[in-house]
Amino acid sequence: MKKRISAMLLAAVACLPTISLFTGCAQKGETVLRVYSWEEYIDEGGEDSYDGTADAPDMVSRFEAWYEETYGSPIRVEYSTFGTNEDMYNQLKLGNEYDLLCPSEYMIMKLAAEGYLQPYSEAFFDETNPDNHYIRNVSPYIHAMFESNRINKADPESTETWSDYAAGYMWGVTGFTYNPAYVNEEDLRSLGWDVMTAEAYQNKVTTKDNVRDSYFVALAILYKEEIAALDPTSPDYGKQLAAIMNRTDEETIAAAEEVMQAMDENIFGYETDTGKADIVSGRIWLNFAWSGDAVYAMDLAEAGEDEDGNETDSTLLNFFIPEECANLWFDGWVMPKGANTQAAEAFVNFLSMPENAVRNMYYIGYSGVIAGDEVFDYVCETYAVDPEEYESEEEYVVYDLSYFFGGSDAPQGSYTFYADRDQAERRQLHAHYPPYEVTRRCAVMDYYGEEANENINELWSRIKGETLEPWAIAVICVGVALIVGAVLLVKFGGKIDFFRLPPKKGYTRVKQEDFKKYPNDKQNPV
Amino acid sequence: MRLRFSRKMLGIPYAVFLLFFVIIPMLVILFYAFTDKEMHLSFENFIRFFSDPTKLSTIVYSLVIGLITTVVCLVIAYPVAYILARSKMKKKFVILLLFVTPMWINFVLRVNAIRELLNWMGLLGEANYFNTIFGMVYDFLPFMILPLYTTLLKIDESLYEASADLGGNAFTAFTRITLPLSMPGIASGITMVFLPSMTNYVVSDMLGNSKVTIIGKFIYEYFGTNWHMGSMVALVLLIVVLLSTWLTGGLKEENNARGTTL
Repeated sequence: MKKRISAMLLAAVACLPTISLFTGCAQKGETVLRVYSWEEYIDEGGEDSYDGTADAPDMVSRFEAWYEETYGSPIRVEYSTFGTNEDMYNQLKLGNEYDLLCPSEYMIMKLAAEGYLQPYSEAFFDETNPDNHYIRNVSPYIHAMFESNRINKADPESTETWSDYAAGYMWGVTGFTYNPAYVNEEDLRSLGWDVMTAEAYQNKVTTKDNVRDSYFVALAILYKEEIAALDPTSPDYGKQLAAIMNRTDEETIAAAEEVMQAMDENIFGYETDTGKADIVSGRIWLNFAWSGDAVYAMDLAEAGEDEDGNETDSTLLNFFIPEECANLWFDGWVMPKGANTQAAEAFVNFLSMPENAVRNMYYIGYSGVIAGDEVFDYVCETYAVDPEEYESEEEYVVYDLSYFFGGSDAPQGSYTFYADRDQAERRQLHAHYPPYEVTRRCAVMDYYGEEANENINELWSRIKGETLEPWAIAVICVGVALIVGAVLLVKFGGKIDFFRLPPKKGYTRVKQEDFKKYPNDKQNPV
Repeated sequence: MRLRFSRKMLGIPYAVFLLFFVIIPMLVILFYAFTDKEMHLSFENFIRFFSDPTKLSTIVYSLVIGLITTVVCLVIAYPVAYILARSKMKKKFVILLLFVTPMWINFVLRVNAIRELLNWMGLLGEANYFNTIFGMVYDFLPFMILPLYTTLLKIDESLYEASADLGGNAFTAFTRITLPLSMPGIASGITMVFLPSMTNYVVSDMLGNSKVTIIGKFIYEYFGTNWHMGSMVALVLLIVVLLSTWLTGGLKEENNARGTTL
């Protein structure tokens, strides 16, 4: 109960802007679907959309129209957005109710471990139903990953997988955008994640201002040799890799702290969104980036525009995924307990229609989890080239995306197209749909569990916080105490006889009480 | 009974505001600071805060950054405010306006502009602490100039005439008249610059590339992961600020303090 009251107080105080004042005034017979997702993470229509016309409707209104047509009853979507997974978690914890959320993989695992989630219905996975667009169109690669990973690692008994609770939305990898004018690609390949601590790149590389991404880099540097010793042909390769990249024991944290300290001393800084502008302007050479952001930055730099649409010089940026191991991340749709599962599942299915998946991908620039021929056509439309236009065979490659569009049992080469070699090996295509060899070397970062999380957050505060020797703290404290003492002396010293100079010879000091005896000035003996 | 309107009732909106946006939040912070995840009374956060050298160092660093910013602001603002207040110039409000105008431009925009400027000077990424203090001084200078200007403006000209009559030179006039009478302005200037410069982590993130961590950033980060620790840090900061306000408040006389705050 105590918890409830404090949560209510906080909800009243801290979250006023996010509480919709209009909830509860739904018309009779109208269903309300409350969706809570990332900012700018869905097609918002208009001229910037795939359709390109000013009156192109946004995805949410498309859904509302489609739902009414299909199910014969009106629906209204209350779509709100968050900026970080933690913000979303706090809102949920405060008791705000939603039907559908779109957090990242580790947050999905945390929510599952804490029992917040409602599983998808069995009917949702019935491939024979033509309305089940998600299961019919999801990439076999993503689906296999969702089927084979346990969602609740805190409970060793649990056999539930990601698929039980989550439907994928967007996915990608991490790497570096770099400016080839300053960075030698060969050098970069030989260094891998070590560029973070390499002296040659001192003050020229940035990392993300969040603990999970930086910790992952530290582990990749720390266990470089162990990872290299793994056998990539072994069927357990992925599991072994993931086990190494999710270590959170005390020894690992202590060793990672040293690496992160070295990174802290070497890097230009931590950023969340200044990196794009800084690399375009040449201020930094390498920027740790999520693949979707990297595509966006490369597009902007190439077009010679900054984020506000102003013209700048056109710069060529490349994308590099370190060979040791990269982080594979995804965001997925999950339903909190008490959600309207029918409407929520309908929303996910609607977004999973290939034409809608293409619209969302086009608008936000990330790669969706939906495969299907329309999506493949879209990829070809964007990246396929005509080999006859090239003078040399060196300049183009056959790009094979069968792993993503066809799955492991699809015949090799069933989803291939000619692509520019630069695009395939180091530019937008490389980031958008990484080659199979790259994805094999990727590991998903799990939810570490309550205790390990706490330890890693403390590690982060030690890296980010300032460090002073204990004697320095003591000296400064004494200094502050002296200043405080001096000010107090000025303030009150006059009232305490001890601090006052003795009166001159022949004078006596009038006491405070004497004044009180003669309230009228004229009677005052002084 | 008829409800009679009294003057006191005008204060009700403010009292409601005070209750919901000042008093209750403070109590919530206090509650969270001294509870654990199960919402049981706990001193764990308190002990952890004061036994963690990083947190102590960070708060000491923030104090020093805040102190330097305040002193630099004071040293720059005082002569400006003094000259403006004492000059016989007809259009001096124009000059004052020039100092205050930056406040009307979006804060993030200004920090971004400073970032470009520092980059052009080659300092970005090279001198993170200097950059942070530079940005803070630039941003908070108007908050120091305005209260100083208003107090200095109020000093009666005849006091200076009397001082000259009694044979006081310019220096005596300054130390005996200007400085003591402008104390309230100095005090409110200090309060308005010191606290924000300890907590405004947008400046340290943008200009110090997040390599400078001030206590405000800690509070922000803890509120993503552990509200209890975040509340404890906020509480400690609150006490530091209350202490400093009380100390500077001791420098000003109540009756002179009128009209010195914005």
